[in-house]
Amino acid sequence: MAKRLKANERRASILAVAKLLFADKGYNGVAVDEIARRLGVSPAVLYQHFSSKEALYEEVLNHISAQRESYIEAALNGPDDFGSVLGRMALVFANKMAADSDYLRMEMQAALEDAPMAQRLFENRWKSFTDFIEFYIGELSQNGQLSHINPRIASLMYQGALREALYAKVILKSERYKSFSLTELIKLITQFFLQSIGYKAS
Amino acid sequence: MNIDMELDARGLNCPLPILRAKKSIAQLASGQVLKITATDPGSVKDIESFCKQTGNELLQSGDENGEFVFLLKKH
Repeated sequence: MAKRLKANERRASILAVAKLLFADKGYNGVAVDEIARRLGVSPAVLYQHFSSKEALYEEVLNHISAQRESYIEAALNGPDDFGSVLGRMALVFANKMAADSDYLRMEMQAALEDAPMAQRLFENRWKSFTDFIEFYIGELSQNGQLSHINPRIASLMYQGALREALYAKVILKSERYKSFSLTELIKLITQFFLQSIGYKAS
Repeated sequence: MNIDMELDARGLNCPLPILRAKKSIAQLASGQVLKITATDPGSVKDIESFCKQTGNELLQSGDENGEFVFLLKKH
């Protein structure tokens, strides 16, 4: 029989197990019974805390989408040109993501299933990042410091490269990038991106 | 209060308001006041941290009609 837990402890343990399962199998691939079985309780216990699987899923997403990277240090500690700040932000972002691989898997599952909450994950975790790139590329292009580049496309390209690095290093443990640490890989990607768009620090 | 410079950071997410604030405040003389208007809820915490780290004084922080308004005095 499962150990009796206080209500808040039980709720936290349900959320932790549900997060793991949703990350592995997506919303549609997980049944309430399976979550209950993993916890060693009956489904009725789950329903005491969450009215439905959907409510539980939403709570898991709420929890992870509320986390937010702080880029204050990245913004203030060091040179403040676009390339330097981008490099520092990318490291903050990648290290935070690497510390929680379930988040990456869950985000991908949510996007593949077209879950309405997937948008919120993007808004909370990726958007300040992509906004930053788009804003500066737009401004540098206007000032003639960059040739005309579509800020949106450039931002998506960079985000795609970051995702590949994160999936390869954190989830797939790919042989391909075995000789690089995540930090080295992120630095190389940033350097390559900046060269590709013709950026030179002023 | 005399406001010496205004920064419109509406629609910008962290760290853009901070970077803009840093740039704006660099143009002010000691004791002058910068007013920042932002829409990102995270800016409340970010501007506080910015002031702590840079030694500028946060004179006022509040929200008006869904916008966040900050008054910073350059140290």
